[in-house]
Amino acid sequence: MTASASWFLKIGGAITGVFLLLVVAGPALAPYDPQAVVGASLVAPSGAHLLGTNDAGQDILSQLLVGTRASMLTGILAATLAVAAGVLVGATAGLLGGWADLVAMRIVDVFLAIPALPLVILIASLASPSRATIVAVIALAGWPPISRIVRSQTLVLASRGYVHAARGFDSGWPYVVRRHLVPGLAPLIVATYVNWASAAIVLEAGLAFIGLGDPTAVSWGSVLQRALGHAGIYATAAWTWWVLPAGLAIAGAAIGLAFLGVAIEPRSNPRWARS
Amino acid sequence: MAIAEASASGHGEFEQSRFRAIRGPAGLVMGYVATILVLVTLNFFLPRALPGEPLEALSNPRSPTFIGDQERRLAVEQYYGLDRPAGEQFLAYLAGLMRGDLGKSIRYNVPVSTLIAERLPWTLLLGGTALTAGTMGGVVAGIRSGWRRGRDGDRLLLPLFVALDSVPMFVVASVIISLFAVQLGWFPLSGARTPFSDAWPPWRQALDIGHHLLLPAGLLAVQFSAFQFLVMRASMIGELGSDYIRLGRAKGMTDRILKYRYAARNALLPTVSVVGLQAGLAVSATIFVEAVFAYPGLGRLMVEAIASRDYPAIQGVFLIVTVMVLTANLAADLAYRRLDVRTRR
Repeated sequence: MTASASWFLKIGGAITGVFLLLVVAGPALAPYDPQAVVGASLVAPSGAHLLGTNDAGQDILSQLLVGTRASMLTGILAATLAVAAGVLVGATAGLLGGWADLVAMRIVDVFLAIPALPLVILIASLASPSRATIVAVIALAGWPPISRIVRSQTLVLASRGYVHAARGFDSGWPYVVRRHLVPGLAPLIVATYVNWASAAIVLEAGLAFIGLGDPTAVSWGSVLQRALGHAGIYATAAWTWWVLPAGLAIAGAAIGLAFLGVAIEPRSNPRWARS
Repeated sequence: MAIAEASASGHGEFEQSRFRAIRGPAGLVMGYVATILVLVTLNFFLPRALPGEPLEALSNPRSPTFIGDQERRLAVEQYYGLDRPAGEQFLAYLAGLMRGDLGKSIRYNVPVSTLIAERLPWTLLLGGTALTAGTMGGVVAGIRSGWRRGRDGDRLLLPLFVALDSVPMFVVASVIISLFAVQLGWFPLSGARTPFSDAWPPWRQALDIGHHLLLPAGLLAVQFSAFQFLVMRASMIGELGSDYIRLGRAKGMTDRILKYRYAARNALLPTVSVVGLQAGLAVSATIFVEAVFAYPGLGRLMVEAIASRDYPAIQGVFLIVTVMVLTANLAADLAYRRLDVRTRR
């Protein structure tokens, strides 16, 4: 696997780079206003509309380009929140030990035992639909497993000889955390973050697809929801320029980040490096 | 997503029970009961505590989720009992659960328990078929790939499974429908059976159900196999370094016997835990697949309920599905303990 790690890094990095560029430049590149009616209903791709129009006569390419920002940023924001909370809980529990650790880990156990998607759906459908709700529920699904691995890694690091040595030379915990713990945890955190960004983008699109997205935003998931909800979508040729590009965008972003995650993981996680 | 979750929850922790405060099967069962209590409590408090007061909005004429039909609105108000003190509401809720009362669906105006009873068999058929086929496929692929790690075919398999694992289910489902149901016309577009097929002879009905099942179940099976494959592969590679393999080689045993009768048999143990873990992930995938294929299971019921903010139905499905997953997890954990001699001590 070490040999193919660089392959994963190249492909994953290239795909992710393109999508990150589109997050910045997407809205500027969009030829039309994604919400405006700019043509007839379900026009096939042409020079004027490279990916045709949807049932309302909106330009699909513009919707996808503008939606890149909403979809990717929601995913990235949710992953950031999940990783931050997970690292905070995991590292603190690992360092403190004792009762704090026991209580925190029992709470994590309960969250890990409950299947994430039904819980996310329940909360998202009860709360008012907005970007903040979506980010919060995805982060809620993410932090418990993340805190688990961060805690394990913290325990491993804290028992290392150099930490004992540093403690023996009378260095305080702030020094140990800054000097040994942060560098020791960093690779693991980066890999986890990339994996969760991938999962969060898919989850965001999935929630939008089942009708739990931010109703005011144009995103990949909202394009898909409208397309697959269109009666007889499979009966017309519109499937190829309406559903397929939106699906490819979601899948592409997810695969890019997942490949990047695989490429980073061996260095931080001995479990994968062995295989 | 499965990989992110699985690697996050740690493959290495399979051998340990989730609730290590108390050892042995009793600890597992206690953890199971405690988690179910948390679930029931969550299910009660979430709709009452979340910002936006989702339940109040149902009876507020100015809110978008106001229930116009008076009879349905009264049924919902009575079920949630919002005019009573919170403690009394909770007791009434628990008493209702004991009787199997999950409230009345706003959308269908029938008891939620009736709806669930109608939909559950379809989800069990779809999920069960897919889980069985996916586990077998993933294990066999994992044995082969682990045995020949790093060689030609193996190098293609890993990127393929990582990609499979991260691609969203609803996208793949739509592509599959377009390809096999629309372009080739081999399978029906959606649903679980042909409408009005009740009058058909039983063998024809069974064929019809199988015909509708093949596409969604096949897709789910491929998805489930990805995770099982990765675990089986890693476990297989772990066994290959063992002394008994070297001894077998030295004795001149054939690859085939070593591979299947020795290495694979020992490597199979973690897959039992994976089946339990899969139950949770299977639910996610099944919800999306049912939504795209319009398959009349619990997942589709939940998605339909979202559209009409049918809270009693969403909550009912949530409770049933999570209890099913927890039970599957418990069963897998207990089975693992019986199978692994080392944990029996």
